[in-house]
Amino acid sequence: MFNKMSCPALDEPGFHACCQLLLQQSEQLGDGWSWLELGGGPGEEGSEVGYLKKTVLRSVAVDSNPVQTQEASGSETEQTSILQPEAQDTGEPASLNADDLNDYIKDEDAVCTAVDINSQVLQYEYHILYSCSYSTPVLYFRAFTMEGRSLTLQEVWSSIHPNYRLCLQNSPLTTITQQEHPLLGQPFFMLHPCKTEEFMRPLLQASHDQPRPVNYVLSWLSVVGPVVGLDIPLKYCTLLHPASSLSSAEPD
Amino acid sequence: MADDKDVLRDVWFGRIPTCFTLNQDEVTEREAEPYYLLLPRVSYLTLVTDKVKKHFLKVMRSEDVEEMWFEYEGTPLKWHYPIGVLFDLHASNTVLPWNITVHFKSFPDQDLLHCPSNSIIEAHFMSSIKEADALKHKSQVVNDMQKKDHKQLWMGLQNDKFDQFWAMNRKLMEYPTEEGGFRYIPFRIYQTMSDRPFIQKLFRPVSPEGNTLTLGDLLKEMYPTAITNDGEQKRYQVVIHGIEPLLETPLQWLSEHLSHPDNFLHICVIPTPTD
Repeated sequence: MFNKMSCPALDEPGFHACCQLLLQQSEQLGDGWSWLELGGGPGEEGSEVGYLKKTVLRSVAVDSNPVQTQEASGSETEQTSILQPEAQDTGEPASLNADDLNDYIKDEDAVCTAVDINSQVLQYEYHILYSCSYSTPVLYFRAFTMEGRSLTLQEVWSSIHPNYRLCLQNSPLTTITQQEHPLLGQPFFMLHPCKTEEFMRPLLQASHDQPRPVNYVLSWLSVVGPVVGLDIPLKYCTLLHPASSLSSAEPD
Repeated sequence: MADDKDVLRDVWFGRIPTCFTLNQDEVTEREAEPYYLLLPRVSYLTLVTDKVKKHFLKVMRSEDVEEMWFEYEGTPLKWHYPIGVLFDLHASNTVLPWNITVHFKSFPDQDLLHCPSNSIIEAHFMSSIKEADALKHKSQVVNDMQKKDHKQLWMGLQNDKFDQFWAMNRKLMEYPTEEGGFRYIPFRIYQTMSDRPFIQKLFRPVSPEGNTLTLGDLLKEMYPTAITNDGEQKRYQVVIHGIEPLLETPLQWLSEHLSHPDNFLHICVIPTPTD
């Protein structure tokens, strides 16, 4: 799959092999990934295309107030204001760690503050597709409220961890945009793939210098997934290592 | 080839006479007259309809106005496809002008991308150009350009300036003579017969044996049912910019001359009219 190490690109059969391995491991871990194939329409005989899909429920601290104001403005400057959200608005609740939480819980007033934070349960749908133009996997996703309303780009931005938000803002080419899902024709959000090869190169180089099995899709997903709330269990890695080759990964 | 420059002009200045009508369910203070416009085939609906919006807003109260969107015979029109593609795909072989319905409420979230400002159209346009160059030159040409060069491409399209656009775009159309064409041809094949919006794969303009590949070769591999075999009745039309190019046309030539400003060759496969 990665024999041509000088050029760490992923071709389509390689993508499919990585996905199959990821699926096997996901099944062992109960991580919920599935493979969806597209029914061929007229003229599409033999052109099987598919994608990996996972649906998760997430409790997200969405501060709806600044979002409302941004939506109402609806002007030319809207886009810039989304890209520079006031970090302190949504930053505080989302950056709580366990210790902070314990401190908060000891303090009754603070617990009330935490409840005030608009923590909402959302349904996220993640799709992993192959981009033949960039020879990379691409992550598409969309999110719905429990009432079935789809999240706007502004709401998606405000649900992203402030640390990641800052990273994305500093690197405009890997930003989140709304795009048409190339297989379903529906609006999805997407992390743009044009920098993927760049940030994957050192990783693949390292695995080449010290040979060990690397699942391109899995490694890539562990980089981009957490940005949009998709966590990859570390167990994938421990499952992968005892195996000597990509095709014979077994749990130990 | 000097004479082929005329083709680029003809493509750029292609227009579709269009009649915009306000959706009947919109709340208005008085009756809304239809609005007529010549739409540039190579542009985007949301980029050239400021006047349409202004026209209808005159008869509406601002509280009844949400994001504007367009529909043709029940199909929401995707603004991120070039206008010519939308027309060829949905309205070929119909009587002109093209009748588009304008909506200001019930935005179809599940079908259309939001377009709150021109900067969204610009981002979409530049992203297409970059993807096309990734296919043609491994992104080398577009990455060597400066920010102002990218801006020149966009401003050329936005302001309908053929010379401004092509002064920069010709760089994206270059290739090493010995290779006989681009690395891959940026193309998309659209059809309305299945839910999949388009087909996009890797395809080279020259075969491994060095033969020039044609539009027919592309379709044979990507969409064989679009081709009429000997003795068969023609079931599909293969349309680019409103015309049916000969299937013998070299793909490289088509890519250089009949691509949209986004540098993709948009090919529509539509059922042959039965009447």
